[in-house]
Amino acid sequence: MSKLGIVSYGSYIPKYRISIEEIAKVWDDDPNEIISQLQVFSKSVPGPDEDVATMSVEAARNTISRWKGNPQDVGAIYVGSESHPYAVKPTATIVAAAIDAEKELTAADLEFACKAGTAGMQMCFGLVKSEMIKFGLAIGSDDSQAKPRDPLEYTAGAGSAAFLIGKERVVAELEGTYSITTDTPDFWRREGAVFPSHGNRFTGQPAYFQHTVDASKGLMEKLGTKPSDYNHVTFHQPNTKFPLTVAKMLGFTTDQIDISLICKNIGNAYSASSMLGLAHILNNSNPGDRIFMTSYGSGAGSDAFSFSITDEIEELKSYPLTVEHYLNNKEQINYGKYSRYKGILR
Amino acid sequence: MEPPKIWRERREKYLALGILCQECKRKSFPITLYCPHCSSENISELKLAQTGKILHFTRVTQTAEELMLYAPYIIGLVELDDGIKVTGQITDTKLEDLTEGMKVRMVFRILSKNGEEGLIGYGFKFVLI
Repeated sequence: MSKLGIVSYGSYIPKYRISIEEIAKVWDDDPNEIISQLQVFSKSVPGPDEDVATMSVEAARNTISRWKGNPQDVGAIYVGSESHPYAVKPTATIVAAAIDAEKELTAADLEFACKAGTAGMQMCFGLVKSEMIKFGLAIGSDDSQAKPRDPLEYTAGAGSAAFLIGKERVVAELEGTYSITTDTPDFWRREGAVFPSHGNRFTGQPAYFQHTVDASKGLMEKLGTKPSDYNHVTFHQPNTKFPLTVAKMLGFTTDQIDISLICKNIGNAYSASSMLGLAHILNNSNPGDRIFMTSYGSGAGSDAFSFSITDEIEELKSYPLTVEHYLNNKEQINYGKYSRYKGILR
Repeated sequence: MEPPKIWRERREKYLALGILCQECKRKSFPITLYCPHCSSENISELKLAQTGKILHFTRVTQTAEELMLYAPYIIGLVELDDGIKVTGQITDTKLEDLTEGMKVRMVFRILSKNGEEGLIGYGFKFVLI
């Protein structure tokens, strides 16, 4: 039986960064206290000519170029985000046209806070496994929103990650996936509201930690695996402290999670957060490695995945536009320029 | 920008497609119904090279209303690796960081926004490699 899994992957992080110090200066906060709490030093900011559609296209193009396959063979595109440029007009249609995948495919935009991208991965796994499509492209992408002076402003970053799911030349075989979903009102944005609201400390224990732990434990029980069976793990990264804490709660070591922790440099990329961690891990993995991922989306839910890396990974690792490339390609901006680029100043 | 224009030009602007004349074998951009060199209608779509070098560039400060959000911006004449010359914005950079001959690659960016409620125009721009 042919393997089902990730066939290719791609990422994108915008060039601009704003430091915690620069934001703290505006609000007379103590930057050292914030850095110590969040373990985040800067966050990524899209340029004025970037949005979720452009970032999704860049990640999708990197996925297709790394794969070297025919985009016409992509039978589904799902874009998970909470900052789609249109309320009505799917980002997925723009991506389909921009990677030359039009027009024999299904496509949709998904919304489940920060886990809409991994929900798209599960949909693609299902469609490919049932042989309704040959390849499916799942994208997590966000230009994260945060109200000025809200604690979220320190971490709301931007980025995009894409995974091509299929059965041919699989680089990361899917061993299993498992989800948890509850009605937990920890973070929300009403229709028409510009910025999201949240339940402050309520976003922690009953929300992020409970769902991430339940989904992770549930999948490991289902597969009969334990944390020490995995080489690398990635979780949703609203800051660096949360994934480190949840890793410890589950019994993963700092060494297992270390590679995935891109949040310290780019902040919380919302729908792209755990997926960028996975893309970075894939580019640093070796055949035979096992990888664990659990996303978290407010509202709330978690999707857990277990992957096994195949020999095919070696061929894809030399593609130049990696997560590391984008992490290093950066330019610091001040709060004034940040306000203009984010559309706060018009 | 009106819906039909965005729709009609999307392959040219999103994918950077030009034409290859099957008669005189010359390439050109943008897409036209006939070869601009020999007037033949026997043409096919051609995907342009994604990288090239900057031949000339300048900074635009006064521009159309739908582009003022991005001004000042840099526009350049780029010779692609397949020899075709195209004009496009060079983004994520400053005038003082540019020199002629620098290598660039295509990226997908917002070209214009039709106010707060209208359509968003997307297409290719260039960034430094």
